[in-house]
Amino acid sequence: MPYEGEHLVIGQIGHFVALLAFAASLVATMAFYKSTVARTPIEAESWKKMGRTAFVLNAIAVFAIFITLYLIIYNHYFEYKYAHQHSKRSLDMQYLLSCFWEGQEGSFMLWSFWNSVIGLVLLRTAKQWEAPVMTMASLVQLFLATFLTGIYFFDVRLGSSPFVLMRNEFPDAEIFKDPQYLIKYLRDGNGLNILLQNYWMVIHPPIVFLGFASSLVPFAYAVAGLWKNDHKGWISPAMPWALFCGGVLGLGVMMGAAWAYESLTFGGYWAWDPVENASMVPWLTLVAGIHTMLIFRSTGFSLKATYLFIPISFLLVIYSTFLTRTGVLGDTSVHSFTGEGNSLYWHLLLMIGVFAAIPVILYIRRRKSIPVVRNEENMHSREFWMFVGSLLFFVAAIYVIILTSLPFINKLFGTQWAIGENVEYVYNRVMIMVALVITFLSAFGQFLKYKGTTRQYFISKIALPAIIAIVVSAIISFVGGIDYDRHGAGFLVAIHLCLWAAIFAAIANGAYIFSVLKGNLKAAGAAIAHVGFGMMIVGILISSANKELLSLNRTGIAMPGLKDAKGRDENPLENLTLIHGIPTPMGKYMVTYEGDSTEKKNNRVYFKIRFSELDSTGNSKKDFYVQPNAFLVKSGEGTNLSSNPGSKHYIHHDVFVYITSWLNPDNISDTATFRMRTVKAGDTVFYSNGFAVVNRIISANKYDNKDLPVVDSAWLSEVSVYAKDGREFQVQPAYFVKDNQPTVKTDTVISQSVIFNLIKKNSGEIQVGIKESDAVMRYITLKAFNFPMINLLWLGTIFMVIGFMVSMVYRFNRTRIG
Amino acid sequence: MKKLQIIMLVAIAVVIAGLITMMQDISTYDSIASARNKEGKFVHLIAKLDKTSPVEYDPIKDPNYLSFYAIDSLGSKTKVVYLNSKPTEFEHSERIVLKGKMQGEVFQCKEILLKCPSKYKDDPTQQMKQLNTSSSEANTPATDEKKY
Repeated sequence: MPYEGEHLVIGQIGHFVALLAFAASLVATMAFYKSTVARTPIEAESWKKMGRTAFVLNAIAVFAIFITLYLIIYNHYFEYKYAHQHSKRSLDMQYLLSCFWEGQEGSFMLWSFWNSVIGLVLLRTAKQWEAPVMTMASLVQLFLATFLTGIYFFDVRLGSSPFVLMRNEFPDAEIFKDPQYLIKYLRDGNGLNILLQNYWMVIHPPIVFLGFASSLVPFAYAVAGLWKNDHKGWISPAMPWALFCGGVLGLGVMMGAAWAYESLTFGGYWAWDPVENASMVPWLTLVAGIHTMLIFRSTGFSLKATYLFIPISFLLVIYSTFLTRTGVLGDTSVHSFTGEGNSLYWHLLLMIGVFAAIPVILYIRRRKSIPVVRNEENMHSREFWMFVGSLLFFVAAIYVIILTSLPFINKLFGTQWAIGENVEYVYNRVMIMVALVITFLSAFGQFLKYKGTTRQYFISKIALPAIIAIVVSAIISFVGGIDYDRHGAGFLVAIHLCLWAAIFAAIANGAYIFSVLKGNLKAAGAAIAHVGFGMMIVGILISSANKELLSLNRTGIAMPGLKDAKGRDENPLENLTLIHGIPTPMGKYMVTYEGDSTEKKNNRVYFKIRFSELDSTGNSKKDFYVQPNAFLVKSGEGTNLSSNPGSKHYIHHDVFVYITSWLNPDNISDTATFRMRTVKAGDTVFYSNGFAVVNRIISANKYDNKDLPVVDSAWLSEVSVYAKDGREFQVQPAYFVKDNQPTVKTDTVISQSVIFNLIKKNSGEIQVGIKESDAVMRYITLKAFNFPMINLLWLGTIFMVIGFMVSMVYRFNRTRIG
Repeated sequence: MKKLQIIMLVAIAVVIAGLITMMQDISTYDSIASARNKEGKFVHLIAKLDKTSPVEYDPIKDPNYLSFYAIDSLGSKTKVVYLNSKPTEFEHSERIVLKGKMQGEVFQCKEILLKCPSKYKDDPTQQMKQLNTSSSEANTPATDEKKY
């Protein structure tokens, strides 16, 4: 059957380039492998040339997939499943890119895209390491390409193509029996998950995936080192890449935190959600690996640890994709997951298996030739304490990943475990100890030298920063008001100790730049990153411990005394209801719900909430507005609210508000009934606050009106409502019949608490009904928090990322010179 | 023994100790019946909202009180009280994970995770359902309008 309006050529191009990417990466992998194992330089060179050509071709194909898919989304070709599932006509331009990464195919494509870019850079920079490193890069490309092919091997579909058509995916659906299905039914897509309609979601996924993709490079170099039995040479060229990955992945994870803070209604930036954990864990092991690489380069120690930390970082990247994409986390995460089914599950497990087997087999084959330093590390040396720190990072990673993997463990062993009542505390109490020791190590470790440090040097350099840190910490501890006692005194002590250590880390590393490096910022990458890390920990501690629930509901709003009737004591009641125009006390503020406005295009409501800070006499001394917003999502049975927090940013704190419930007349049980009146055009009907004039009644049916393809007949009306206060509204109640099933479309004037409907009686007369109901009173329910010092976290992140980048440039220049 | 090996042993011991203390906090997924047997113990219930029983939530009277009935796959039913606001898309959830404890006849819920159809956009069966309804939805433009 020929279908109207489809654009099939672009999809065929897409399919073709996806297969081309697959074939080219297969050739590239084999050619680079052959080049690595070749016996003569001439043979190696000719295979290498072939591998390069194939890899460039693969990169071109991957870019072509990207462009093709973008054109499909941009041009709203909803016959394609990807466009239909993930985009919508009304979507703003900048979010069209977010549509890419919402779906599984798009995120693999993004990964593959970065991998291509990184591979092209490696072709130019890897020099004598090119063949083995590119073998790994091409092999990863090959795996990523298989996720996008969607071709069948016997009965198993390998990956899923982003270029499939709706009608091929759902061949049994009724609508595809109509050749005009595209024009009639698939006129618009499902749209982008509204949580993703946030600017952070345009930028966060590409950064995270760049971090993910770049974790391949240190992995590939480590494998190359084992493969070529050259355990020293790979460290220097891999170093800038490891630092790049550490910086980018760290930035990406924190951008995700910023997104969670601004667009999720957790009331925070980090909730130890499995998705967050899964992206953080590879970063932890990678940072451990960067430190052991440094130790090895300077002292020859820690090579074996490096061969553990670096490969496992890349494996954890794939594993995190496995956890988040296959739906195994389904019951534990607030994030949305796809149930792609078994094929992806085994596909990713296979990928993990292959990339785990390569370093393990090589390591076993090379174990005798891996150099080991026989003598022991000096306790006064930098490498000793750096190693302890790396080990702690690794321990932290293991702890987090085991807890995060509980659903997978349950699946493997048939157990029923879950983290109990206090998810955050289960993580926090371990992480605070790790942070305490690590920040302390990073503070004094900088003042130790490799291989041994004299006591005099160490004390002379560290004395001043230590004194400053103690003074600053003491001040913050005593006047900072940190008295978080929900988990007992021990935890509070840990918070304070960790705060001291983190402040010490920031100050000591700052001092190091001047006292030891003499202000040479080019060499100060590590110190800058450590300053940033210390600031982040300080920001996390203060903002979490002093986070204040503003909307604490002590009274209940309408009925004081109701509270205890339901026996609530231990947990704060977090929601507060505000009635339109009525100032309500909330913490030290008086808050008023002043109004809302709807952005028609996206069905998004903006709420205007005034906060007045009162002085002792009850006069307002400072006023500000917070404007949270919410999308109204129409789904099957009614309208739902998807809330976006609003916040007022100050340098030292944020006031953070989100709407938890809003007037939703659909859901209110309403005892008032419609008062029906038979009318014709020109008639006037009264209600308690004014009157309404029926301007026009239009009746139509599908036989004489071609614009009515979806119903059999319709009666539409135009009614002007004149309120006593002089305002005027237009309403259009209507009545439709389809297959003898009538449907009434009501229309409401909320500020007048009045609802109109229209009924057509059998005899041909039209009745307009008016209902006046208090159920349309305007109110919102919200939660509000005060986050102190959150900017320290963001600022620390920026410092840390800058530190990584400075270090990367420094190391890269040293490799070139050396 | 080298100092570093001692430290590594300590690290391993710390991980094990951490995991053991964690086991005390570990909870389990239960059915309503088994949760009743463990009254007062913190459990996770996987259940469904009973759409035939009333959902009570009136933010004007009390924005921190939601009560409803849940049924699990074995057919048991319990009243649930959640002292917080009603989650978005609550009525449209296909499956809910309730974290809390049974107290008497009532499940005191501390946290609700919803599994809504919209979260499973890529799930082919959901997709199919949606498509079949979308053709019928397109036929009934029965969306109600509001003006302010």
